[in-house]
Amino acid sequence: MSGRSLFCAMWLVVFSLPIFAEEPQYGGELNIGTVYVTLSPLSWDPQDWSWKTNHDTSMVREQLFVADLDKSIRKGGPHAFVSDAYLPADAIRGELAESWHWLDPLTLELSLRKGVMIPGKAGVMETRELDAYDVVFSLENLQSSPKKINEYLDHIEELEVVDPHTLRFHFNKFNAEWDYRFGYGYYSAIVPRETADVDAKSWRNLVGSGPFSMTRYVQGNSQSYAKNPDYWDSEQLNGKQYAIPFIDRLNYRIIKDEATYLTGLRTGKLDILEAIRWIAVDHLKETTPELNWHRWLSTSGNFIAMRQDFPPFADRRVRRAMNLAINQAEIVELFYGGHAELMAFPQHPGFGDYFQPLEEMPASVQELFDYDPEKAKALLVEAGYEDGFEVTVQVCSCSPNNMDLIPLLEGYYAKIGVQLIIQPLEYASFLSMMTTRNHAPAYFMNTGHVNPTTTIRKNFVTGQLWNPSLHSDAEFDARVEDAFATRDETQRITKLRELTVNILDEAPYVWLPTTYVYTAWWPWVKNYNGELRAGAVRPGPIYARIWLDQQMKKDMGFE
Amino acid sequence: MQAYIARRLLALLPTLFFASLIVFMSMRLIPGDVIDLMLAQNDVATSQDRARIEAALGLDQPLLTQYLDWVGGVLQGDLGRSLWQNTPVTEQLAATLPITFELGFLALLIALSVALPIGIYSAMRQDTTGDYVVRSFSLLMLAIPSFWLGTLVMVFPSVWWRWSPPLAYVPFFEDPVANLSHMLVPAILLGLSMSAVTMRMTRTMMLEVLRQDYIRTARAKGLSENLMIARHALRNGLIPVVTLIGLQVPLLIGGAVILEQIFVVPGMGLLLLEAVFQRDYPVISGIFLVVGVGVLLINLLIDLSYGFLDPKVRHQ
Amino acid sequence: MSWSLFKRMWREKRLGAIGGLIFLLFLLCGIFADFLAPYGMNEPDLTVRLQAPSSEYFFGTDHLGRDVFSRVLIGAQLSMVVGFLAAGLATVVSIVVGVLSGYFGGRIDMFIQRFVDAWMTFPDLLLLIVVISILGPGMPQIIIVLGFLYGIAGSRIVRGSVVSVRETMYTHAAQSMGASTLRILFKHILPNVMPVVIVLFTTRVGATILAEAGLSFLGLGVPPPSPTWGSMLSGTGRTYMYLGPWLALAPGLCLTIVVYAINVYGDALRDLIDPRMRGVR
Repeated sequence: MSGRSLFCAMWLVVFSLPIFAEEPQYGGELNIGTVYVTLSPLSWDPQDWSWKTNHDTSMVREQLFVADLDKSIRKGGPHAFVSDAYLPADAIRGELAESWHWLDPLTLELSLRKGVMIPGKAGVMETRELDAYDVVFSLENLQSSPKKINEYLDHIEELEVVDPHTLRFHFNKFNAEWDYRFGYGYYSAIVPRETADVDAKSWRNLVGSGPFSMTRYVQGNSQSYAKNPDYWDSEQLNGKQYAIPFIDRLNYRIIKDEATYLTGLRTGKLDILEAIRWIAVDHLKETTPELNWHRWLSTSGNFIAMRQDFPPFADRRVRRAMNLAINQAEIVELFYGGHAELMAFPQHPGFGDYFQPLEEMPASVQELFDYDPEKAKALLVEAGYEDGFEVTVQVCSCSPNNMDLIPLLEGYYAKIGVQLIIQPLEYASFLSMMTTRNHAPAYFMNTGHVNPTTTIRKNFVTGQLWNPSLHSDAEFDARVEDAFATRDETQRITKLRELTVNILDEAPYVWLPTTYVYTAWWPWVKNYNGELRAGAVRPGPIYARIWLDQQMKKDMGFE
Repeated sequence: MQAYIARRLLALLPTLFFASLIVFMSMRLIPGDVIDLMLAQNDVATSQDRARIEAALGLDQPLLTQYLDWVGGVLQGDLGRSLWQNTPVTEQLAATLPITFELGFLALLIALSVALPIGIYSAMRQDTTGDYVVRSFSLLMLAIPSFWLGTLVMVFPSVWWRWSPPLAYVPFFEDPVANLSHMLVPAILLGLSMSAVTMRMTRTMMLEVLRQDYIRTARAKGLSENLMIARHALRNGLIPVVTLIGLQVPLLIGGAVILEQIFVVPGMGLLLLEAVFQRDYPVISGIFLVVGVGVLLINLLIDLSYGFLDPKVRHQ
Repeated sequence: MSWSLFKRMWREKRLGAIGGLIFLLFLLCGIFADFLAPYGMNEPDLTVRLQAPSSEYFFGTDHLGRDVFSRVLIGAQLSMVVGFLAAGLATVVSIVVGVLSGYFGGRIDMFIQRFVDAWMTFPDLLLLIVVISILGPGMPQIIIVLGFLYGIAGSRIVRGSVVSVRETMYTHAAQSMGASTLRILFKHILPNVMPVVIVLFTTRVGATILAEAGLSFLGLGVPPPSPTWGSMLSGTGRTYMYLGPWLALAPGLCLTIVVYAINVYGDALRDLIDPRMRGVR
């Protein structure tokens, strides 16, 4: 190394020393356009079993387990934490749980953190320590609801209180998703038992041990939360422990119009905008070059489900032909401008080893993502459809992306003699078609990945609500159940990989590319790198660790 | 006078009854009912008990029973609860109605302050270039879709000057300045589009009035032009304008929907849109009821105001 | 629109006449759109997406590589269809309801007017939103809904006209001569009500085109790939505002010009035909 570069290197080392790293500041107001910026809250009551409740309450209510944000990329770890409901095994830490271990294969003993206080609220409860009885109440509250999802928590036979800070879960069978379902999942919020005596559906009665409390809700405009000054957790930065949250106030802005929320970001009224379509990115980068960016692959699969009770689709060759006829690479390149991946469903790259990239897939799977109209036609002839056939495809008019894509697909299919009859439906009508099983033979939809095991179960197991292709294979079902019962993760990964390859081959869906989505934030937002979820749609812990450089914001000309 | 008001109010009832029945029943005709939607919300669901959810929401009752229950509730001031959030509909309306009302009121003020002077000017300078320019401009305002104008106003200043209207709603009594600065831009846009029609009406009415005999008499008496206008022409010309305001009220409520969406004004229009997309029947029925009552009451007020404005009516 | 009337309009209200001509131009474009359009309305070609206007693509291409000029022409066809059919239906409804109510009077009139009152208390857009949700998005549904909506609202005006005609000498004379109701309706009432109706019709065309645009914005308009101006403007026009301003400019200008032209024409027509109607929207 030359003397000059050594000199530079030395200064580099000096300046990267912790004493020169930034000291977090307290105070300020954070305004966020979240991933669900266009959606209002659906429910505040865990008894409604609503998927979105965590998103709106996770800064107030806590769960047993949470993401270990120290393993995020921003802190030198491997995880981006964008998956909507999955936490890798090495990135789970106890939130309300302090430690846990198996007493026997079906009994889990869990110790709660001591000294976690639930702030009092007039008309609801007095300030007190959270204890095991709250956990029991939360479970019973869920199971007694008329909206309960059947079989979801049925693997828990009994929840025993050993002492106010110790619980024993007695399972009747092992479920590989045990930690997700009642630990860090959609319905895992630990709710104080006083909730039973108040109107749990009112946001005013929202109480929990979390870093924030809810101060205001303006339907159609905003949700506001204020710092809980006695919050128990802390964040380690530069070797020091800091009490969190750093910010005083947190606001979710609810903005239905895309042009408006992009404007909000541009003018600094939104500090963070979590989900920006690729179309808007270039222009934003041009007009607002100061923004920081993070790109992530959408956690929603895009596909056309083919009903297997519709004669042509009962034949696997026809279904494969429907895949071969689409030029997915062209769609990625030209329709999505390169901002997409060919294959990211049913498994998602965020699932770590559960995900096998397309290049490692067997040839029969890779073929489905190639463009081969000749072979598609040949398969149709082989299956007895040399004159092609007509099929109705239902699309939701609520999805501009799908509405745009369908004329393209129509063009591809016309080339192999398959005539698409496009039937656009409005949101509620579209969904009800599926729930009542009246949907068309081709059903163009999106669905969340959730986690490696659920994505296979819900889409492809017989009789599942979210199995619109009506795929039914007893042997496949048995293997899925077996995967759920497999305790060893390495074995589970192998099984799931096999199941994924098999189902891709069976082609119950037309597999379509998955787009990239962008998150952008202003540079005064610190200790943040585009992390989205620390549990199932749970951003609360992430926001609690953000601090704002208010001076920088003023210097940049924003109020 | 009291008897007249009472009679009018009584006459409202059958209309309202009719309307509420239509709205209530037609709601259920919308395909894709709320249970389906609720069932489709959780994409991890294996299955949920449709019947149990229906029973919990009271939707398993026969339609007529549900309607009668609702009417019974209405008569006691209870409009039911939102099927999703269980918030009382009255609470939701109490939150959004003042906002829509405020937006409409501001828009009306702006519309009148633009339309009246220009309409009068146009009538007095009939068929001059000024008149044509003004009328053309007002027609142009009518022809540009409000969502487009709204988008331009929202987007381009943010790109050029990093400025946009505020997006956060603050109640008026908490911070009037913040509240008004949030509502101002959509109010202006709504007002301008309304002013187009009001302007033409004012002009037309003024023209009619200016031709009347009593104006000629006043002129002959030597009254100054402006005084004459103020006293006679305005008074009489105002009646149809007031009528027009009455006709515009539904437009205010409905036309605001698009602007509410673009400028994030949490009014009744947005509430209705969301309720329709979510099939929240009680909210939809509640909104129509309140809007219906509101419009009918305003029309009543306008009819009564004729008595003050037009001496001929008063002595009927 | 007789030739003499047009000549009079040209002389006295030239702007109106020009408006009428412009509208006629668009109407013709709409009728002959299939011949005039160089490309089809839905021919995606991803390799030429988002190109600026050129000699090959007069108004440029959209995000799927479709020729905007062709789509705007066919959009003219659709807008004219929606506009005319909806306005036509509205006119028919207005006539039927207005004549029934105005001519027969009494209980029928009261009953119908209560119903019309109930109908008119509700804001247009709110009614549209609910009804389109019931019927689902689609062109026939929008035509029907807009037709009935404007029809019932316009029936008031027709009724007023009918009432005034009813009281004239001709009608009394015919009645005393024992003419049948139908004959009176067709020979005396209708012809005298026609001017009002014609003006109503022209203003409704513009209103329905705008209403469809508003519905598109809210997600309830005619669904893609139909290139109505409203959906082009509110959908791709707004999304690709930055990448391709021509996507919004073309349908937007067309929409504004057509609505403006027909309103100006309708105004002028009204001034000429029936000055008494000046107080009417």
